[in-house]
Amino acid sequence: MTRRGRRGDDAQAVLETALILPILLLLVCNFIGVMVQVTVQQQLNAATALAAQSRFQAPNNAVDPAGTRCCGADGSRLSTAGLPTGCRYAAETFYGTMTTYTGMLVWQTAPLCTSGGDSGDATHSPLASHAYPGSPGDADVSCDIGSTGAAGVIVAGYLDRTLQPPNGLTVVTCSATTRLDFSKTPLAWGVFWSPTVHAQSEALPPPFRQ
Amino acid sequence: MGGESEDVVRPRRVPRTGRRAQATLEFAVVVPLFLLCLIGALDAGLWAVQTSAEVSAVEQAATVAASAGSNPAAETAPDARAVTAAVAGSLHAALFGTSVAGWCEADSSGACRPDVTAHCPSTPAEVQAAMGPRVVVVCVTEQDPPPCVAPPPGVPSPFPPKCDDSPLITVRVIGFVASFVPPGFGPGATGFELPTDISATTHTLRFAP
Repeated sequence: MTRRGRRGDDAQAVLETALILPILLLLVCNFIGVMVQVTVQQQLNAATALAAQSRFQAPNNAVDPAGTRCCGADGSRLSTAGLPTGCRYAAETFYGTMTTYTGMLVWQTAPLCTSGGDSGDATHSPLASHAYPGSPGDADVSCDIGSTGAAGVIVAGYLDRTLQPPNGLTVVTCSATTRLDFSKTPLAWGVFWSPTVHAQSEALPPPFRQ
Repeated sequence: MGGESEDVVRPRRVPRTGRRAQATLEFAVVVPLFLLCLIGALDAGLWAVQTSAEVSAVEQAATVAASAGSNPAAETAPDARAVTAAVAGSLHAALFGTSVAGWCEADSSGACRPDVTAHCPSTPAEVQAAMGPRVVVVCVTEQDPPPCVAPPPGVPSPFPPKCDDSPLITVRVIGFVASFVPPGFGPGATGFELPTDISATTHTLRFAP
């Protein structure tokens, strides 16, 4: 009776440990997973913010000549020939900033350069932006920017009607969306979700460009 | 009666000792696991706070570095020490137990320009070898465009492409930050540290229409 009872206690302790241990490890893994997600979100916010601001480091009327490429590991992933130079500046800034966690990020690609977006308001309908002709469609970041093209043709940027009402203010927006794939990391043992992280930043033109 | 009382007492003594041993054993097994989980969770939180501070710092530093050479006619290279000083305060506050240093060599004039050869340390281990454990460095590099030349016939200027770009500035925070990971369990060579490598890139500011 006593031996049986002791054996029963031992079995119970082993069973308890076997139950508790995976749960504890699962909790720690998921806690680390959330921390990674928060960090990636913050880095994505910084990358899109710097990208949007860097558009203004380029002249408004500058256009990349034929053969211009940028970004990626070898610096030639995207062709930007015929696109506003500011668009390439934004892309170079974004790709240069998002350098960590690259192995676990699955990007939702989009056109690199877009124009003509409108936030809309009570009297205007929101408008979706459209890609510049010749813009690569497989970029990790998408920037809605205006420019002055050949022969002085003005291409509209993103019109934010919440700024300077009632006409709004033309700004630069950059957005990026990625999914965290934990299956490529040691956390795959206990993290079974793949969160999608999105960031969108807006940069106001400097006063002399408004 | 006496035989009955012995029968009652003996079985009680053995299980009590066994129970104590079992409790000690369980305690010895559970405590390390509990500490592992506790320290793991604490470290993950601490690491997230530190990384968050580093991301903010490199973003701020990149903005400072980009605006430092705002005159395109002048040399655009910002002083790396000024960039480091601009973000050192916020980094010191978040990276407790970790030293923050600049990574640059002063020239003959005393200025500490970013290294145009992009010779930032490539791994946290390189920082540790040079600066010791639990040190992060702020490294500023400048990538200048190639000089413009006369384009071949039929090729539009500017040539080569990107030759009239403003320089590309990269600010990198790299090294090992203090953590609770005991020696032998983490990727750091000396223990109580975790590697970090965060960077931000932007073009220098150019006032152009």
